Amino acid sequence: MTRLKYTFGAIIAGGLALGAGTAFAGEVTWWTPNFNEARARGLVEEFQKQNPDIKVKLEITTADGLPQRILTTLQSGAAPDLIDVAHGWINGYAQNKLLTQVDDVLTDRADYVSAGLDYGTLNGSLWAIPYRVESHAIIFNKQHFRDAGLDPENPPKTWTELTKAAQALTKNGRYGFAITGGGEVGNTIFRSLPFVWMKGGDMISADQKTATINQPAAVEAVKFYTDMFTQLKVSPASTLENDGTANRRLFIAGTVSMYQSGQFDVTSIKKENPQIEVGAMAIPHPEGAKTASIIGGWSLVIPAHAKNPTDAKTLLKFLAEAKNQAALTDTFPARNSGMNAERFQDPLLNPFKDMLAYGRALPANRNWVQISQAYFDGIQRILLGDEDVQEAMDGAAEEIQALLDQKQ
Amino acid sequence: MVRQSTGLVFVLPALIVLAMLIAYPLAYTGLLSVSDQQGNFVGARNFATVLAARATPQAFWNTVYFVGASIVFQVILGTAGAILLNQNFTGRAIVRSITIIPWVVPGIVAATTWAWMFHTEFGIINYMMTAPGLIEAPIGWLTNRDTVMPVLIAINVWKMFPFVTVMVLAGLQSIPNDLYEAARIDGANFWEEVWHIMLPQVRSVITAVTLLLVIWGLNSITIIYAITRGGPANRTLITPIQIFRLAFDAVQFNQAAALSVLFFAVAIVIVFFYVRLVQSPSGGAR
Repeated sequence: MTRLKYTFGAIIAGGLALGAGTAFAGEVTWWTPNFNEARARGLVEEFQKQNPDIKVKLEITTADGLPQRILTTLQSGAAPDLIDVAHGWINGYAQNKLLTQVDDVLTDRADYVSAGLDYGTLNGSLWAIPYRVESHAIIFNKQHFRDAGLDPENPPKTWTELTKAAQALTKNGRYGFAITGGGEVGNTIFRSLPFVWMKGGDMISADQKTATINQPAAVEAVKFYTDMFTQLKVSPASTLENDGTANRRLFIAGTVSMYQSGQFDVTSIKKENPQIEVGAMAIPHPEGAKTASIIGGWSLVIPAHAKNPTDAKTLLKFLAEAKNQAALTDTFPARNSGMNAERFQDPLLNPFKDMLAYGRALPANRNWVQISQAYFDGIQRILLGDEDVQEAMDGAAEEIQALLDQKQ
Repeated sequence: MVRQSTGLVFVLPALIVLAMLIAYPLAYTGLLSVSDQQGNFVGARNFATVLAARATPQAFWNTVYFVGASIVFQVILGTAGAILLNQNFTGRAIVRSITIIPWVVPGIVAATTWAWMFHTEFGIINYMMTAPGLIEAPIGWLTNRDTVMPVLIAINVWKMFPFVTVMVLAGLQSIPNDLYEAARIDGANFWEEVWHIMLPQVRSVITAVTLLLVIWGLNSITIIYAITRGGPANRTLITPIQIFRLAFDAVQFNQAAALSVLFFAVAIVIVFFYVRLVQSPSGGAR
């Protein structure tokens, strides 16, 4: 009898201990990367003032190895309540049913940069709220423009003008327009695929059944991109080993006059070589066509196994407000009304801002990494002089088609 | 009978650890190679997919070229270095220590440093050659299709030849002095000593070292991955890097497992024939 009493008491005590160990209602765990830490802490403070009964537990992650870490926690069933993820990762999570639907959190859909929402949409539902978007533009050296007799206040707008300017700038050891042909695959995808889109081409068809990279429009655009190195020689001799960072270094060294990148490069150029007069322009388009770019950035997701999805949605709603997006982002907010904030008023940022409207999401295909590798190998074969553009893209299309045809 | 089973009990812990660390991953790789991402059995489909990939044959021949050429130069340079360091000269201890440095430097550090030195724009090698006018324009060592593989092989040789030197030197030092004395009485010169005494005496060492170099060469990822990632246009893609890319970049573990199984089979065959080849003549002589 006594023994039974003890057992009973132990069970109750155990139950109490267990209850104290797990998160109680009113606590939300938010994983945010280290580059957001200071801004996120400020927002959490403000949120807790407005919602005194919700406590936010902020956990700081590092970008290195983050995709694997997030995937593990999402699959483990013991996930935090809110996570920052790069746009490109969302689709994979959503397809594997690892996220909570957030359509009810979204307000004012029209205010969002549409490509940002595209990344979070699967089967007509929304699985993520974008808060940060960014796009490439072209960064150029104003003094180099003057040296070459060009007007830095009136930079090129079309492909023809870009080519002419690049040729005029290429002299005395300077290179007019640096393209990438090395490093991580993504560098060259982000810089060359928009040219394909401008011509109306694409890597794969919209239904993701056919490789379209060897069709005339795409081939013409790839030729425009690679000609910078192979024919016009306005891109440095080291093009095949250069990624975005290498191009920035060459720009800082004064060897390169124009190159594509995001606004974050402007800050580091000004820091490392304040003498350079930096200019920026929207990426030139073919005559009679519109420009294009790939939208990158970050979104917030609520895992399917979040312990406290209700309060997580309250926090997400708060973070999705335009002024809070403007506070949290490293680059631009995903909502146009957030752009009114003081920090986005530098005129140098305008071309990057303008590009957002022409931004698109990358296709979400489970073999995307290999598809882009096949395309990148093709680009490198052109730059090496192994194959002409049509031949290289035919080869890439064949590889991509095999990847699209692969059974799940 | 009883004694036998007692012995078995004693080796059992070691066997279990071995099974967990070697047999299980091996079997699991085999299982992965014949299933899809959901774990369903798919037969040889993964094998067909990886064999049909454009990169696969290219990577295979690159591997043969990279490993073959590396080993030839590693063994020649390493043995020559050992013979040199076996001579008596002042400062021998210092030279011996310096020789071993490339092998001691961590692979990733060495690779990254070489990548910078060979860079077309910023590299010190092009700078040293253009400054005195040896060459007119910078050479794209790592981007020119004719130079990239030889450069990587040279770096790999530089990295591993000290290992051969150390092993062969140890072998040379165990040769009894009587042999040299007998040869000198017969009027042998230095080169005859090398050819008729040193090389035959260290033959078994060179054989073992070469086998190790083959195995390590077939597994070497660090140098190429850190410098070119297999590019440009897969010109330096070797099979281990292709497997790495499939598994960790593309997250296609099943295809990566299939390619690993194929690669393992090829490696086993190469090692088998190598061991047969080097064992048969000496076995007959003894």
